[in-house]
Amino acid sequence: MNSTALTSTGKLTRAIQRPHPLTRVMTWELRRFCASRLFWLQALGFFCFSLFLTWALHASEGLATVSNNVQISGFVAGTSAGGLLRTLPTVLVVLVLLLPFVTADGVSRDLSRRTHELLMTTALPTWAYVWGRYLAGLVMSLGLALLLLASILGMGGLLHLTVADYPLPQISAVLLLWVGMVVSATVLVSSFGFALGTLLPRRTTLVKIVILLGWIMGAVILPRGLGKTTPPAWYVNWDPTSAITALGMLPQYSFDLRAVTSAAQLQQLILTIENKMPDLAGWFAPHLLLAGFSLVLVLVAALAFKRSRDVLN
Amino acid sequence: MMELTIEHLNKRYGQNWALRELSLRCEPGMLGLVGPNGAGKTTLMRMIATLLSPTEGAIHWNGQDIRTHGQALRQVLGYLPQDFGIYPEFTGRQFLRYLAAMKGLPKSLAHRRVDEVLEIVQMEQVADRKLPTYSGGMKQRIGIAQALLNDPELLIVDEPTAGLDPAERVRFRTLLSSLTRNRIVLLSTHIISDVEAVASRLMILQEGRVLADTTPEALLEKTAGKVWSVTTDQATALQLQAAYQISTMVNQVHGITLRIVSPTRPHEAAVVIDPSLEDAYLLAVGKQTVRV
Repeated sequence: MNSTALTSTGKLTRAIQRPHPLTRVMTWELRRFCASRLFWLQALGFFCFSLFLTWALHASEGLATVSNNVQISGFVAGTSAGGLLRTLPTVLVVLVLLLPFVTADGVSRDLSRRTHELLMTTALPTWAYVWGRYLAGLVMSLGLALLLLASILGMGGLLHLTVADYPLPQISAVLLLWVGMVVSATVLVSSFGFALGTLLPRRTTLVKIVILLGWIMGAVILPRGLGKTTPPAWYVNWDPTSAITALGMLPQYSFDLRAVTSAAQLQQLILTIENKMPDLAGWFAPHLLLAGFSLVLVLVAALAFKRSRDVLN
Repeated sequence: MMELTIEHLNKRYGQNWALRELSLRCEPGMLGLVGPNGAGKTTLMRMIATLLSPTEGAIHWNGQDIRTHGQALRQVLGYLPQDFGIYPEFTGRQFLRYLAAMKGLPKSLAHRRVDEVLEIVQMEQVADRKLPTYSGGMKQRIGIAQALLNDPELLIVDEPTAGLDPAERVRFRTLLSSLTRNRIVLLSTHIISDVEAVASRLMILQEGRVLADTTPEALLEKTAGKVWSVTTDQATALQLQAAYQISTMVNQVHGITLRIVSPTRPHEAAVVIDPSLEDAYLLAVGKQTVRV
């Protein structure tokens, strides 16, 4: 090893310190993720699986009746406004299964990888470190949510081209449901996972398990347990998984098929169901409020975060 | 001004004291911290690096308490932990640029500085390889490179030569010694020869307490006349081993040659020899160590 001298002094470095530490942390964290081939493979895998799910659920509800001894049948398109109420909570479960793995380790990963000491001895402000890591995780989570949106619109368009009578997805309806159900859930789960993972850095596996089990309970088990019972209105509005929210709105889409006498009439009825915009009043704002509340949890985690620890790896 | 002052520092983990009543004042130059495992070296290093809080006492950097002015210290701090992790996604160069950004270096300066430190640690040729492909020695060199990125006034290196082969250890010592000008370097090690080669000041820690704070020369002088060599048969060697501190024990054709650290002549055939810093260290810590 030789003894090359450093060209500028520490004083110079300090005098022209790079501003925007938050942007620095975020950018480099994103760059780090992007440098990982596994990350891209996972994103691609999720996108392909979302496409597959959208295709598999493209006939979200089958409608059939008998008129003059002739069976008439049709289905509600899964990517239509009415169809998404049935399919989106299911697809959302898949997304939520991934989110804690993206964000819960945002800070604790440095402890487990033993990079914590290197970072905590730099002049990086604590708030920039925690919020930068959180925002980078949130950006990646929202990226996954965008892939979900792209898969709905993409597969919907493809089905429109290949399946007879399949409607082109209405972008405004899809976007509204995506924001109210998917974006709010993404922010909520990402923030909750990150905050708990930061507060309990040695219990991140437990944090992930609790979030996943909680979501499966709320999105899969609880709606089935309800049976024909009408869920309480407050829960319909505040259900973070959107499964009960969707259940609560579905009665608006029920029609009496006994009056249908022809295939054309059934198709007209299906079109009405598909194009009917869901009633956003009641649940849309609470869902966004839940997402906003989760930011408070991140704030608490950021305030509770300590650079110095009595026990280090 | 560059001054590190530690006053009556204590650190307790549960019921156990890791450091007791440690006081110290450092100016530019290298301070070698030596002591057996568990002596409190790493705890002390971590407290100076603001990674641990003292239970009692205070650490001042240029007169400011680092508990309240930690950021001022971190701006001029370079720290190489005993055992640090890497980001496997990054190459060596990307890793250094990442840490340069975290240290607040502007982009253009960061790029230049990364090239410089890579040259200092002779890693330019492999800088674009992914970090997991590096050997232990290369990883250590990247570690010291990251510590130098901000041209630190206070450089803390904790057991930097652990796990390195002899040739890399020598190279690392040479590098450290070239870095002592115009900065305070704290080197923690349990390998005495590392300190002997580079440190102008030596502090021996044992069970959290300072046993000696001196220069290698003074410590050697204090040990003069207390190191003996004797060649004897196996039975006598075993008796001497039980009764005295043995620095080395070498099996030879005509018997066993012992290097004994003792204030008194241990055997009638023993002759006084020049002490090494390792002998002086053994005398200070009062512990039996045998190197066969």
